[in-house]
Amino acid sequence: MTPTMKFWVAVVGIGLTGIVTRCSFLLFGERLVLPRGVERALRHAPAAALAAIIAPSVLLADGHTDFSPGNPRLGAVIVAALVMWRTREMLWSMAAGVAVYTALRLLWPA
Amino acid sequence: MTQAYAKHVGGLPPTARAAFALGMREMLPGVPAMAAWSLVTGVAMAKSALSLGEAMGLSLIAYAGAAQLAALPLLVVGAPVAVTIMSALMVNLRFVIYSAAVAPSLRTLPMRQRLLLGYLISDMGFVFYMRREPQLRDSPMRAWYFAGLGVIVFFVWHAASLVGLFASAVIPERWGLDFVGTLVLLALLVPMLATRPSQVGAVVAALLSLSLAGLPFKLGLVVSIVAGISAAVLVDRRARRIA
Repeated sequence: MTPTMKFWVAVVGIGLTGIVTRCSFLLFGERLVLPRGVERALRHAPAAALAAIIAPSVLLADGHTDFSPGNPRLGAVIVAALVMWRTREMLWSMAAGVAVYTALRLLWPA
Repeated sequence: MTQAYAKHVGGLPPTARAAFALGMREMLPGVPAMAAWSLVTGVAMAKSALSLGEAMGLSLIAYAGAAQLAALPLLVVGAPVAVTIMSALMVNLRFVIYSAAVAPSLRTLPMRQRLLLGYLISDMGFVFYMRREPQLRDSPMRAWYFAGLGVIVFFVWHAASLVGLFASAVIPERWGLDFVGTLVLLALLVPMLATRPSQVGAVVAALLSLSLAGLPFKLGLVVSIVAGISAAVLVDRRARRIA
């Protein structure tokens, strides 16, 4: 498979995951009854997936974990999470995160 | 106008068209956050190693911001197709919950309309729908109300995403806009952490994902997600047994 082909196969696959998940219960109506355990696992999947994606993009730099205050992403993420927790407004959370990120990068230029 | 509607069941207008229009109107306050998120996703994709055509294709075909942002680094490094799709699927699994929640109201519609409305399921649309849900439970027009919400999300998403793709050329790299994509995912994650099981699951997934980042084919991501879900289910089951 050429890289280009591989890319488009993956993109179509991603598109299918969106259609299949969105239409899951609409397709089968009441005939689709999920076992309790599966339903609970489903409930926890998005949080686990998002956490697994976010953590490395915040803390990994050149292959090693960076917990230092010199990592502007860390401070920004902490503040953005707090703002989101308090306000439940994505826009405020993003604004706060960007502000802290920018401020920290000005204070500790890499 | 609103008072007249209140006489009808569920506080929704009596016709499909009016319920649809009401949904569109009520979605408007959510547009700024939606547009910002979509714009940022567009910029993040354009700033990656993808070509403009590839980025546009991904945006139009996937129609799932969180999954796009999750899949982006995997697509860029050429991770195995199965790993990329699996990661997108995990992020998109929340749609199954939304789907289950709106299914009762769409049950009586013909299959084609049901699937069309299903395609409009989104985070924002769902949040707005659930805000009204207690009153909506008995309304025959709730499907159209839901469709009205969804149509706005759909068009704002694609429009802002395209603007982001094209505007990215004039946005300097050092603004660090790619990091805003992470902030979007974070804003989605935080409200999900209201219960102990999901907190534990997220921490396990995050720590494992950090320590397994060196694994080939980005396999660490899949392993950490599965481990996170398992941990959450275990904590959940334990809490139930005690209660």
